[in-house]
This record gives sequence, C-alpha cells and structure tokens, in this order.
Amino acid sequence: MINTLLSLNEATRTVNSGSNKVTLLNNINLDVKEGEFISLMGPSGSGKSTLLNCIGMLDSFTDGGYTFLGEPVHSMKEKNRSKLYKEYIGFVFQAYHLIDELNVYENIETPLLYKNVKSSERKAMVADMLDRFNIVGKKDLFPVQLSGGQQQLVGVARALIGKPKLILADEPTGNLNSKQSEEIMELFAELNKEGVTIIQATHSEKNASYGSRVINLLDGKIVSE
Amino acid sequence: MILNYIKIAFRTLRKNKGYSFLNIFGLAIGITCASLIFLWVEDEVSFDSGFAKQDQVYYVPTHQEYEGEWRTFNSTPGPLAEAMKTEIPGVVRAARTKHRDFLFSVGENAINSSGRFVDEDFIKILSLEFIEGNANEAFKNPAAIVITKETAELLYGENVKVFGKTLKVDNTENYIISGVIENLPSNVTFPFNWVAPFERFTDGKEWTKGYGSFFADTFVELSPEADFAAVDAQVRNFLEKKTDDADSKAFLHSIKDWHLRDNFENAKQIGGRIESVRLFTIIALIILLIACINFMNLSTARSEKRANEVGVRKAMGSGRSRLIIQFISEALILAFISTLVSVLLLFILLPQFNVLIEKELVLGLAQPSHILFLFGITIVCGILAGLYPAFYLSSFKPVEVLKGLKVTQGSANFIRKGLVVSQFTISIVFIISTIIVYQQIRHIKNRDLGFNKDQLLSLNVNGTMIEKFSVIKQDLINSGAVTSVGLNNSGVLNGGNNGSGLEWTGGTNTEDVLIFFRYVSSDFIETAGMELAEGRGFSENIAKDSTNVLITESFAKLMGEGSAIGKKIDRGATYTVVGVVKDYLFGDMYGQSDPVMFFNYHGEASYMYLKTNPQVATDAMLAKVEAVMKKHNPAFPFEYNFVDEAFNAKFKSEQLVGKLSQFFALLAILISCLGLFGLAAYTAEQRSKEIGVRKVLGASVSGIVKLLSKDFLKLVGVSILIAIPIAWYTMDNWLQNYAYRIEIDWWIFVIAGLSAILIAMVTVSFQAVKAAIANPVDSLKTE
Repeated sequence: MINTLLSLNEATRTVNSGSNKVTLLNNINLDVKEGEFISLMGPSGSGKSTLLNCIGMLDSFTDGGYTFLGEPVHSMKEKNRSKLYKEYIGFVFQAYHLIDELNVYENIETPLLYKNVKSSERKAMVADMLDRFNIVGKKDLFPVQLSGGQQQLVGVARALIGKPKLILADEPTGNLNSKQSEEIMELFAELNKEGVTIIQATHSEKNASYGSRVINLLDGKIVSE
Repeated sequence: MILNYIKIAFRTLRKNKGYSFLNIFGLAIGITCASLIFLWVEDEVSFDSGFAKQDQVYYVPTHQEYEGEWRTFNSTPGPLAEAMKTEIPGVVRAARTKHRDFLFSVGENAINSSGRFVDEDFIKILSLEFIEGNANEAFKNPAAIVITKETAELLYGENVKVFGKTLKVDNTENYIISGVIENLPSNVTFPFNWVAPFERFTDGKEWTKGYGSFFADTFVELSPEADFAAVDAQVRNFLEKKTDDADSKAFLHSIKDWHLRDNFENAKQIGGRIESVRLFTIIALIILLIACINFMNLSTARSEKRANEVGVRKAMGSGRSRLIIQFISEALILAFISTLVSVLLLFILLPQFNVLIEKELVLGLAQPSHILFLFGITIVCGILAGLYPAFYLSSFKPVEVLKGLKVTQGSANFIRKGLVVSQFTISIVFIISTIIVYQQIRHIKNRDLGFNKDQLLSLNVNGTMIEKFSVIKQDLINSGAVTSVGLNNSGVLNGGNNGSGLEWTGGTNTEDVLIFFRYVSSDFIETAGMELAEGRGFSENIAKDSTNVLITESFAKLMGEGSAIGKKIDRGATYTVVGVVKDYLFGDMYGQSDPVMFFNYHGEASYMYLKTNPQVATDAMLAKVEAVMKKHNPAFPFEYNFVDEAFNAKFKSEQLVGKLSQFFALLAILISCLGLFGLAAYTAEQRSKEIGVRKVLGASVSGIVKLLSKDFLKLVGVSILIAIPIAWYTMDNWLQNYAYRIEIDWWIFVIAGLSAILIAMVTVSFQAVKAAIANPVDSLKTE
C-alpha cells in the first residue's frame, strides 16, 4: 500500500493587488503519493511557482485544506510548519540560491546546522554527499568559481542532505544548457527511483517526460492531468 | 553554528571591503572618542579617592552673608577645629591647615615646594602612609617636617635615608625631617609635598588664636557611626554660638564632593565640575550613538545584497531567531574589530589628548576596569548597532526575496532617513556650540579689565625684595628691560584680602558691604596700567600718604553723589580718599568689579609687578631681570609668571569645553560623513539601472548628480531646522552661567547650516558623479 504524502483540498490562494483581489490558485485538489515524480506545467503566471511555494510552506494557501503526512498544515502555527518542512522538504531553485559567502562544503552543510545535527555526524553526511555527486575536489570552492551546472548540483546536494521525503524544484534547469539539464534531470530520476518524491515546475516537455505524472495549470487552475 | 556565523561574517567583510572599512572605521572612531572621554571622566571622578576614609572625611568651609547674599569661603577661624572636636559629638579628629610655599635647600640643591602647616590629626584624617618614621611620632618635635617620597628624592637623590636630617627652609629656618610619606596621587584637590606642625605657623601670631580671623583650612573626621546630618546641623550653628554672629556658617563638605561639587551659590551647593563630567559623558554616548547609527544605516542599505541569503537560509529551515542571532553576531564581530582598531587609535591619540586637556591619562590594558569597559562598549555597540538590521533583515519573506522581487524598503527607508537626520542634527549642534563657546571665551578675554595684563611680569616676593625694593626698582629700570615696578599684597587677578564693617561718608548700611583691601607701593597703579578717574595717585613718600587711600569707582558710587575726593572712610583708623581708580576686574572674571580700597604700604607685599619694555625681546628682558634679582636677592631662585598667561589659565575649564567641543564636532561630522558616503554609494548602486535608462534617454551628468544629491541635501536641510532650536536652547542655557556674556548671533546658524550642506554635498557628490559618468551600457547589462 502506497502512502499519501500530501493532499490538497480546494486549496486557494488569493492576493490583494491594489483594490483588486487576484486569485493565484483556484480550488486546487491534488493528492501526492509517496514516490511520485510530478511535473507542473503551464505558461508563465499560471501558478506553478505559487503552488510549489505553498506546498513547500514558504507561502500559505488562503483557503482550503492542506494535509501533509496526515497533519493539517492549514491550521498549524508558523513554528510547527517550519519544523515540518525543515524535516521533510528540500528545495531546489532555478537560480541555485547558494550562499555566496560559503564554500561548497559549507553550503551543503547548512541545513544540517538548522536541524542541530552533531558535528561528527554532519561531517560524515556531507562527505557522503560530496562523494555521491563526485564533487569532493570542489568542496573548498565558492559558488562564483563553479559553472551553472555544478552550482545546481550543489543545490540538489544541499536539498538532499537533510534526507527529505519531498523535493520541490522550481525550474531546476531554467538557467542551464541542455547537457547540464540532462544531467540534473537524470539525477532526479535516479533519486526518484530511490524513493524520494519530487515535484518540479518546468516549461520543458522533455524535462516533464522524466516524471511519472504531469499536471497542467492555467490561470491558477488544474486544467488537465 | 557560531563558527559558521564567524566565517560568514569574515567573508562578508572581506568581500565588501569598502563597506567594512566605513563600518569599522566609523565605529572605531566612536569607541576611541568615548574611551578618551571616559578616561577623563574616570580621572575626574576618582579625585581624592586615594584617601582611605571616604565616608568620614570632611572639609569645613564657611558661608558668609554680605548684602543679603551668601558667599562661600574656604577659610575658617583658628580655634574652630579644636572646638569642634571637643564640643560636637561625632567629630573624632579635626585639624587646622595653612598652605605655604617653601624653598628647601640641601647644599647647592634648592627647590620650591608647596605644602601645609597642619595639626597632628591631619596625618590620620588623610591616612598618610609613612615610609620612614611613623604617624604617631612624626609631630613630637616642634621643628618636625614630613615630606613626600618625591620631595625627598628631589632633594637627596634616590634610596637615601633622610629621617632625622636637618632641612633648610627659605634659607633662614631649620626643620628636622621626621618622616617620609608616600607620594600623593596626581588627582587630589588639596595637594601638598610636605606637612609641618601648625604651631610653627601660629607662633607669635596672636591673631590666629581668636574667632575674628578667618585664615585656616579646617579638616575633620567623623566617627564611622556619626550621623552626618546631625553633625552638619551642629556645625552650621557653631560659629553663631561662639561669636553671636549669624552671618557666618561653617558646614561640612564631603571628601567625595571636593573636586566635583565645589560651587556654592547663596549657601546652596550648585554643582561644579560634575556638570562638565555629565556633559561630556552625554557627548560620548551621543558620539557612540552616531557611530552605531552609521552601522545600522549601512547594514540596512545593503539589505538587498543580504536578502537572498536570508531567503535561502529560511528555506533551509532557519527560524527567524537564528537569523537574528546570526546578524547580531556579525555586528558583534565588527564591533570587536572596531574596538581593536580603536585601542590602536587610543595609543596614538592619547598623548595628544593629554596635551589638549592637560592631564596624564593612561590606558591600562592590564587594568581590569579598562578591559571591562572596552569589552562592555563592544557588546553594547554590537548589540545596539546590530539589533535593528537583524530584525529588519530577518523579516524578509523567502518567497519574495528568492523570486528576486525588490525588497520593499518603505519602513527601512524612513528609519534610515531619520537616522541620517539625527546624525546631522547632532553634528550641526556641535558646530554651533563650538562657535558659541569660542566666541564667549574670546568675548571674556577681550573684556576691558580695568588694567593692562600684557607685558606684565609677576614675581613672588621673598628674601630681601622688600627691604631692597627701591634699589631693585632703580636697577630694573636702569637695565632698560622694565619701565615700571610696583608691589602688592595680593595677586592682581585674585580676590585676596577683604573685610566688611567699614563706615564712610555718605554711606548707609555700610557694615554689610564686602570691601577688598590692597596694600601697594606707590607705583603699582601705574605698573598695572590702571587709570585714575579723578584725584591723584600715591606719592613715593609713604609717610605723606599713610592715612590717605585710593578707592575704585564702584566704591565711590557707594559713597553717594558727587566727587569722592576728600571723603572719609573709617576702618578702625580714619582714611581720606585722595583718588578714584577706574573699576578693575579680579577674582571672578565673569562677574562684576567688587569695591577696592588701596593703601600706600608695601611692607607685607607678596607680589612684585614689572611692566616690561615692549622694545626688548622677552628672552633678553628676562635675562636682565634675572641678573638684577640675582644681585639683590641671591638666596632665592629667579621665578616669574606672566600675568596674561595666568589670566588665560583662569579660563581653563571654558578652554577645555571649547577644545573638546571642537574635537567632538569634528569627529561627529567625520563619522556622519562616513555614513553618508556609504549611503550615497549604495543609493547610487541601487539606482544604477535608473541612471542608465535616464542617460540613454539623454540626461546630462549634472542632471543626474543633482537627482542623486537632492534627496540627501533635503535630509541635511531638515537636520538644520531641527538643530537650530536645540543648539539655541542649549547654548542660551550655557551662557546663563556667565554674568558677562555674548548674545547669540543669527549668522552662527547660517554658517553652521551652510557648512553642513557643503560637507554633505562634497561627500555625496563624489558618489553621485561616479554614478553619473558610468557607462549606461554596463548598468543596463546587469539584468
């Protein structure tokens, strides 16, 4: 029996822009099972990023229900919410968003610091990750010294270090060339095989084809699946 | 985790060298400045704290009433000390003292040394520590003298036992050294290099025995259990009880107040140097605040650069509190570096500062209090400067900043502007205050004194100077270096000998007026450059004028309408006024001219005044004067004072305020400009795209410079508007302290405002021009 990781029930997000009320997400119903690899597709402004951010709890729905691992996120306090995503969710960004002042090793280590992992354990975990991604030789370099593909690799490594159940990737290959994109997508596919649930937002049909499920959004609504 | 913060902090510092420099340097200047002031404050508040019995020792001055006003004097009648000790319960020790300058000679070695004749109790009241001899035996011999270690070394050299040696004083008397005491610290209110039994001073002076003469400085020690208020109340009534005269009230002045709270007005304590101490403490805090404001401003201005990091960290699971801790740690690290820099600056600046304030302050890095202070200031600055940026930066929402949305800086912008305004307001207030303080000092210095302080040399009278006065005078004038010589029993600048209870023609209620007495030689009036308003001066023939006096105009006024010449004054004997001298200023240079009465008698003169010949160079003049003095008064070293220098010394505390406020004005402006410079740089950076677009659309360089400078100048304008009333109010208050004072001119505000605008413009335009002449292609490409 495959567990449901999260489910959205009539989830809606509206913002006030001036005097207008703008609906960014409109009554989204979505169940995500553990081990799925979902691609969110749709034109710019269709609500892909907003949906990812809301699922990742960086942002919140203004209406409707959101259950994560059986816990009702919509009625949670900020503190518990942040505890939850710290524990179970990893983020990969289009612009990598590595911390410029930290080197590769330290960037990957950062989430562990926030989870209060012991120093010796941290060392072992980061070393594993560097090893796995074949970037041991680059561990002392700073982000500016890396190519885009390498930076995104570090970004993925950083998202994975906390052993999340869910990875949210907002156009992870948006700033990469086709060869680099391919490498990252293959990495995602591999991770998915190992059991990590992935939700990515993408414009590319090719990237979407790595996934197991495609959801099309338009004007904040799910139009097809 | 902390290690991670430190790493980030250092890397951020290195990456933004310019910004780090502004921040660290600004804060370092602030800390340096505050440290200098606090070193000074420490010295001031620690005056007399070297003496052990801080809660028991009191000085006994007197309030005396004249013309309905209470004045406060140091001197007390001779019998007061002993009577207090025996009659007032709680007073366990009491001592009369009298200040005196001695010339000590040991062989060829002669030094001037000031000290006190004291009663034996004095040794225990101040807990003097004996190196040779002991406190109980020191005064057994009436010819005894106890000297400080330093004096002993000056006379006999180091490591010489001097106990029991005979010391020649003023080339005439012998004293036996009965003890050597530890040197007094430099910060004591009543310094002395020696003490000798009081009886040696009073022997043969019958007038010291009664309550009629106020001449001694009295010190007392209360028992530890004594109730101060009860004892003080008895002391205040004591003189009335003894003399039936309600016009004199002795009172207790605590050792803790000797230095800082020694001003009295109408018998009430009204402060003293404590006011300067408070003022400068506040100024130090303000300067620190300005430096911290810089830090806040620069940090929040840079927020866009840090916003991304905040977003990532939050997405990685960092809570807000951790970010706050991170940013405060960074501020603390910066503050710590600033403190290190400022310690360096302190070592460089302290000697100059010491020259400025005429002290010998030392930064003791081995002294726990100083280390603790530096540590404390670091923490306070770090937290103060880091708190606002920390809360501001950590409030960013990851969704917004990670998307690259512009951080909405509404509130931060407002606060930043507010901070810039407060910095410049403070700077402008400093500029205005500096100008006004200097104007006031100049005003008083240029005041018509009623005598001519320039080219006037003052010698202390000693040895045979009075006996040989006419020969000395003749030789001095013959030498060509001096044009006129006069003797006086009081310093021309000082209050000196006075009394009341006189009666005169045309006077009513005369006994209540305080009259100052001057015993002078006939040439004194001319020598001092005083002018006769009417009548004649003294004749050289003393016998001829023995019952004639000169008075000043203010005295003449007391005698009513018409010429004062020929009127009589009764002071035991009756004197006839033969001349009226224009009022002259002495004692309080800010006050009014008190009435003076001159007698033609120089037998008790203390000072010899020489009007020097301006044609003769100072060195040559001094050499000639010295030659004459050596010839006629060979036993004493030639020592002199210039009256104009002594006059300048009277403005020490005002000069200090002036110098320091100048110093602080400069620093405040410097720090504020550092901040403005940084802010301008970031504004230019933030608006680089806008500037690029404008240039492409055809804007000129000057147009863009104007665009960028305008906002800052507006802030400076607001600062000027706020600063003017504050400065006016404060300085008007300050000026109220002086009876003789300037009016505040409007042009001072104009000058201060214009200079602030100019300084701000120079600071900002550098960045504005840089941004304006940049190639728009570069800035537009950055997206």
